[in-house]
Amino acid sequence: MPEAASATSIQPKKPTYQHIPFLHLTEAELVDLSGRMKLSLSGEDMLAVQKIFQDWGREPTDVELEVIAQTWSEHCKHRIFGATIEHTTASGTETIHSLFSTYIKGVSERIMARKPGFVLSAFHDNAGFIQLDEDKAVCLKVETHNHPSAIEPYAGANTGLGGVIRDILGAGKGAKPIASLDVFCFGAPDTKPEEIKADDVIHPLGIMRGVVRGVRDYGNRMGIPTVSGAIQFDPAYIYNPLVFCGTAGVIPIPDIDKTMSNGLRVIAAGGRTGRDGLHGATFSSAALDTESHEEDQQAVQIGNPIEEKKVSDFILAAREEGLIEFVTDCGAGGFSSAAGEMLSECGGEIWLDNVPLKEPGLISWEIFISESQERMVLAVKEESLPRLKELADIYETELTELGVADGSGILKVLHHGETVCELDCARLHTAPTKHLASTFTLTATESAGAVTSASWAEDLKAIFADFAIVSREPIIREYDHEVQGNTVLKPLAGAAGDAPQDAAVMLIDGSERLMAMSQSLLPEWGKTDPYAMGQACMDECFRQLVAAGANPDKIALLDNFCVGNPHDPAELGALVESVKGLADAADAFNAPFVSGKDSFYNYFETSEGPVSIPTTALISGIGIVEDAAHVTGASLRRADSYLAILGTTDAALGGSVFARVRGLGDRLAVPGTDCAAALDLYRRYHGALGKGLILAAHDVSEGGLAVALAEMAFSGKAGLEISLDNLPVNGEVGAAARLFAENSSRLVLEIPAEQLDAATEHFSGVPFAILGRATGGHCDLRVEWGKETLLHTSISELKSLWKNGLTPYY
Amino acid sequence: MEERPNALLLKFPGTNCDGETARALETVGFAPRVVPISTATPDDLDGVSLVVLSGGFSYGDYVMAGRLAQLVTRQKLGDALRRFRDRGGYLLGICNGFQILTKLDLLPHTSLVDTISGRFQCTWVKLAKHGDRSPYLKLLPEEFELPIANAEGRLVTETSEQAKALVEQEFAALTYVDNVNGSFEAIAALQDETGRVLGLMPHPERFLYRRHHYDPDWNGDAEWGWGYYFFRSVYEAIVNEPALAGAEA
Repeated sequence: MPEAASATSIQPKKPTYQHIPFLHLTEAELVDLSGRMKLSLSGEDMLAVQKIFQDWGREPTDVELEVIAQTWSEHCKHRIFGATIEHTTASGTETIHSLFSTYIKGVSERIMARKPGFVLSAFHDNAGFIQLDEDKAVCLKVETHNHPSAIEPYAGANTGLGGVIRDILGAGKGAKPIASLDVFCFGAPDTKPEEIKADDVIHPLGIMRGVVRGVRDYGNRMGIPTVSGAIQFDPAYIYNPLVFCGTAGVIPIPDIDKTMSNGLRVIAAGGRTGRDGLHGATFSSAALDTESHEEDQQAVQIGNPIEEKKVSDFILAAREEGLIEFVTDCGAGGFSSAAGEMLSECGGEIWLDNVPLKEPGLISWEIFISESQERMVLAVKEESLPRLKELADIYETELTELGVADGSGILKVLHHGETVCELDCARLHTAPTKHLASTFTLTATESAGAVTSASWAEDLKAIFADFAIVSREPIIREYDHEVQGNTVLKPLAGAAGDAPQDAAVMLIDGSERLMAMSQSLLPEWGKTDPYAMGQACMDECFRQLVAAGANPDKIALLDNFCVGNPHDPAELGALVESVKGLADAADAFNAPFVSGKDSFYNYFETSEGPVSIPTTALISGIGIVEDAAHVTGASLRRADSYLAILGTTDAALGGSVFARVRGLGDRLAVPGTDCAAALDLYRRYHGALGKGLILAAHDVSEGGLAVALAEMAFSGKAGLEISLDNLPVNGEVGAAARLFAENSSRLVLEIPAEQLDAATEHFSGVPFAILGRATGGHCDLRVEWGKETLLHTSISELKSLWKNGLTPYY
Repeated sequence: MEERPNALLLKFPGTNCDGETARALETVGFAPRVVPISTATPDDLDGVSLVVLSGGFSYGDYVMAGRLAQLVTRQKLGDALRRFRDRGGYLLGICNGFQILTKLDLLPHTSLVDTISGRFQCTWVKLAKHGDRSPYLKLLPEEFELPIANAEGRLVTETSEQAKALVEQEFAALTYVDNVNGSFEAIAALQDETGRVLGLMPHPERFLYRRHHYDPDWNGDAEWGWGYYFFRSVYEAIVNEPALAGAEA
């Protein structure tokens, strides 16, 4: 073992660990111990741990209990997605053996078998890869950082983005991060303080400002463009804000596969280890309460993006020189997770006395599980060490020899020569299967009937001023979305540079192909019909990618779930239904999941009882754009073009912004989605892009067709003359639904005048209609249906409402 | 056979626009080389025609933007950059590079401070050219657009008269048509008396291709964005002065 470096002089002089009297504890005593040590392990888990040590005939050390708690935490092991669930609905009870294996992985593996060669890696690495071209692959990973952001919004979001960037650096032998996305769910910024029913909860405005600045300061300093995102505002997120951070990367295909082998040296690179971020993994596997805001401060890490930029430069240079055999990031659980994962099969030794520390006084287990940021763990050949040290010096990052892989199958942690942890990897990674019960009852089955309005224009204005719709421009402009010089479809674009787009599209250095990136979440739908939400989120994300130019047969998706209390059968039931919706949609779209993550315990004990978030699924995706000519924005480009709709409009108004703004109640049925039919439409659309029949395309989503049309016209190029007489509809569809329904699978298309006939011909046989044209004669949105003028309103007035809606708050 | 003039990009911890800036330099005809500051020595400037300090957040910019990079540059290179300028070399600072340059005494004395809104601003701006001294702007029209992305881009001088003088004496190479960040006299770019040293807040490397523009219909079927013409201008200035292209220390 090498001599400890001078940087470790603040190391404790001797190992600081203890054996815990454990073998003879009762279940009640075990539960008490779990609470005192903040292990977040249940009585059942603690009994299983006790059994392991009874088999070995010795008491555990505190280090060993901490390692097991990290490894078995919900955060690291996803044990609810692996649980056996008795799911009960009106049609009976079924037993689901692992939501993950059955629906996410199971469906994806079938899809991968149907399109071999597209997915190059899924589910086992830090991010999944899909093929970009002959030489390169792209990946995307999305993580949540909800609990830390609730307590310390700036640092929580800062390290949330920092963490997912490290996932990309730790994917394959080190992918290059090329773009980020960020999705937030907050309470409304104008929430009245008296509506918050607990002490020490940060007001949504403070959460929003802190979170945005946290993302800004990490992403901008790393030089990774933040190109895509979304924000949902809902009172259900006041106590438990959600912060999703995602990053995409690119890698040469031969560098995707990585393997551990005996004799490889384990090294750490990047930041030093301190007390920040102790128990992050176990903390995020429990609910929040008022005490959390005081007690769990140490669970929130402190970010230093320049430290990460240096380690990023180092990793990418080392990978290009072929010096990396294996790499993973230090995230939740710190070295115990990273090294534990790396050594999970072959086993090995870790030397804690070599770890450079930020501060004196850390004891053994703290060093091993600290979640201090900006650390990567690599496995390298011994002969590569001298060059790696040179590279670390060049990029001014710290490199430490942490241990060695030895083929023993045992994770052995040494501190000053004493063994503080010795665990059989096979047992370490076998946590007991949880058994849970869930129920679901569909209550939202009503029809809105014939909805009338004194003024559809006033309804439209109310929608455009709603937090659900208003422009995110003040936030988007705080993110550097153009660094790296590859953002060709920007989050705000069109002739005036400030109109909304459906997806971001990135050039990839060294490739003729591009990557589109987008996401969707519809928690409003999920409150009443989580299955429909699952399908609609998949459709929306997929559709946005296709609209922007991605080939519909080259799209990969990610699922991120946030749930309240999984031990509440109704909340777990909503999760089960949404997973089923997602899986059915993935199967129909032939679009595999390549990565995913879940976050539970997003509920809060207020003075008026527990408040849970609605089950929230975020679907994000990447798609391959095969030709730069396919890149298509969502903004009107000409003053003489035709506007058309692709897809069928449904009468259902459940889940829509219109229904909420007009107070139509929460029992309205939400629309279903026919994903197989949608895929046909999208392939037809993609064919039209290849023929040059499309100038612009915008998805119909929140706010419905009226909002989509107006948003297209926000480029300022022209007014619109629209008739809804020929709108393809499903059954009896009144004016409200024609204007504002939010059912899936619809795109508004701008077609050049000279291609009208060709486009009509191209789209024959699918739901498609010319709705009207752009005009240079005025700057209004005019919408007629039969003899009635539904809307005649100034586009600039709508744009002003939309553009300025968030500015008073950010 | 084409001789590619050498361009050197100094990279500090936190510099993050070196990749796309090198791409732009390569595209217009330079042979660019990125040198991490930890390894940089005055000898690295031998045979180099253009030194570029590209954008980013050197050392995090936690103290005033560019201040630590200036100290390290002094420590590593001494007055080599000044001698490089004196022997006819070209020196360009973009965004954070401009912030560093203002502290190296190679440009008229100014500071770049927090924008008047107190925010980071990632947006496109229209710029106006002043005078014809700049070899970086020869191929550009009187007004053109480039993107900006910074939180400390507001150019200030100790007195407003000093800023006026910078414009009158043509040290201000570019001004914002709409003064987005409250810069004195709307100054966006500053040059020395030779024009060879230029600092600017906008990012020409982010508008290399036409398709970098936010409007898909910008400038019809043109291949290049204004950033291309920016780098191409200085390339042509250098290759048309062979004495400079091969300048030795």
